[in-house]
Amino acid sequence: MWAMVAKEFRQLRRDRRTLTMMIVLPVLLLVVFGYAANFDVHDIPTVVVGPNARTVASNLGAPFQVVEIDPAGGEATARSHLRDGSAVVGVVTAPGGALVLMDGTQLFSVQTAEAAFAKLAPSGRVGGHAARLQILYNPELKTSWVMVPGLAGLILVFVGTLITSLGVVRERQSGTLEQLAVMPFRAFQVIGGKIAPYLLVAAFDLALVVTAGMVLFHVPFVGNVGSFLLGAGLFLLVTLGMGILVSTLSQNQGQAIQLAFFLILPQVLLSGLIFPVSSMAAGVRWISYVLPLTYFIEISRGVMLKAAPVGALLEPIGLLALLAVAVLGLAVARFRRDLAPSVPKTRVGRSGDETVAT
Amino acid sequence: MSRLVEARSVTRRFGRATAVEAVNLVVEPGEVVGLLGANGAGKTTLIRLLLGLLQPNSGTVLLFGSTPSLATRARVGYVPQSLGLYDDLSVEENWVFNAAVFRQVERSLPDALSAWRSSLVGDLPLGVQRQVAFAVALAHRPELLMLDEPTSGVGPLASARLWEQIRQAADDDAGALVTTHNMEEAEQCDRLVIMVDGSDAAEGTAAQIIGGRTVAEVRTEDWPRAFSLLEQAGYSVQLHGTALRVISTAQEVERLFSAASIAAQVDGVPANLEEAFVAIAAGSPPGRRTATGAR
Repeated sequence: MWAMVAKEFRQLRRDRRTLTMMIVLPVLLLVVFGYAANFDVHDIPTVVVGPNARTVASNLGAPFQVVEIDPAGGEATARSHLRDGSAVVGVVTAPGGALVLMDGTQLFSVQTAEAAFAKLAPSGRVGGHAARLQILYNPELKTSWVMVPGLAGLILVFVGTLITSLGVVRERQSGTLEQLAVMPFRAFQVIGGKIAPYLLVAAFDLALVVTAGMVLFHVPFVGNVGSFLLGAGLFLLVTLGMGILVSTLSQNQGQAIQLAFFLILPQVLLSGLIFPVSSMAAGVRWISYVLPLTYFIEISRGVMLKAAPVGALLEPIGLLALLAVAVLGLAVARFRRDLAPSVPKTRVGRSGDETVAT
Repeated sequence: MSRLVEARSVTRRFGRATAVEAVNLVVEPGEVVGLLGANGAGKTTLIRLLLGLLQPNSGTVLLFGSTPSLATRARVGYVPQSLGLYDDLSVEENWVFNAAVFRQVERSLPDALSAWRSSLVGDLPLGVQRQVAFAVALAHRPELLMLDEPTSGVGPLASARLWEQIRQAADDDAGALVTTHNMEEAEQCDRLVIMVDGSDAAEGTAAQIIGGRTVAEVRTEDWPRAFSLLEQAGYSVQLHGTALRVISTAQEVERLFSAASIAAQVDGVPANLEEAFVAIAAGSPPGRRTATGAR
């Protein structure tokens, strides 16, 4: 048995990727769960509008973080802020009363806000005025309503990144990638032909998940389908780019699965799908800002639940477009190099990138 | 006559290891050139350089007179060692894919493959898989065939069939570059390039490569002792029927036997291709060309 144990250790020592994963993953999970897995909301972006905005705003303490005071604004201004995602709570002051609007897509923030209002104004008065609370977009605070738009994105990550990378790596493992390189194909034709079927399957998956969510969980789709498709299309390009990138860094399907897992896990935990991004420690929050799923969730929840127009989603759409160009560009460049390297490589086998063919 | 593929002093290194060093090679229409070498001699790397899948560190590769490109590669039929077929597609599906890529007008499966039309390639015996790969590579009527160990793992009958097809392609004026370490196959080539440790150690027809080389043929009743003595002395020895063939001169072997008091009849006889190859490989220090057949 000891011979077997020694052999396993020797193999493991040489399989640096697996070894790294075994050591890094627990640390990563510890950090993520320690700093990101937090349902407690400490800061709730709040906008206060109306004639008594300054007075009311000065009376609002923690957890409300007043991001804008607009005495000239009205309910429409507050709704606009909530729809655009720049605020979770909008307090509309008026002579003799106040209307508190809350973004029901931010479950934990709304629950915290409700509790804070109950403590702040047990009499139901805010700043000396009678206050009425109204939850928008998800009045019953249903978890399924906010999860389904996010899950649609998660499925696209799986199909786009994992399945695509496996498909490309399979070509490399079986030797057919070399045959493709000899055939009269341009690199973009190989990549395009390779990812188009996955793109279609992913699009079908997306439609299936959204429809199932609407039918089974009565999740509303109140926004513009075109805006949703634009966001989904860009997001899919990023995930497919990640899939190709993973394939260019992997010599076999096992390595591809490991790498894809490294890309998928942070998206599940840090994109705002489960834990609110605003509740994460600043040290890990920046990770969520480079994850494409963070922006897709913003778009899908915005369109499906809030009917946010394209104009209100320009920031996540723009960032997704930027990520798509960067990731897909890098992936295509690496894939092209794999198909027909333009300059001699100088590394020898050890990195796994190239071995001496004989 | 225009050259189909040409390597001029091509060198390719991987880090500190030199896989191919200063290799020259030419394939012309209608000829079958064999790239003969042991495993690790650099044959596959050279093929990949000729196809433009690898770039040389120095030297020049010309495919149909120009740098390997999409257009020139389209005129090549290539069968890699791994065959390049999709295991999870049927024979017909592989054929159709290839036909579509090369824009073949005739896309129907040839009769020779119809028996396996619906079989998944991965389910077929290796011999049949090679036959399919070869047929697929020939389908777009390439002007140059590059075949990397085309008969590896194939039975003698299937091997003979494949060689018949290679010769047929050459008769139709296509050139073929075939890597092999099988001497019988090498003898079927019009010309051979012998690769040793990344270099082209010899080049020419089989007869030219053998040249005037002779080996010592030993007949003795005490052959186990003779065999053992020759091996201990570092000679390459093969048993041919009742005789031992030694890559050395008859005089040297006689001297050795005389010193060991072994009674034997030792004659100098013409070497065969395998013996010439072993002699070339043995006399060729890594990275240096030491023998030339035709040059």
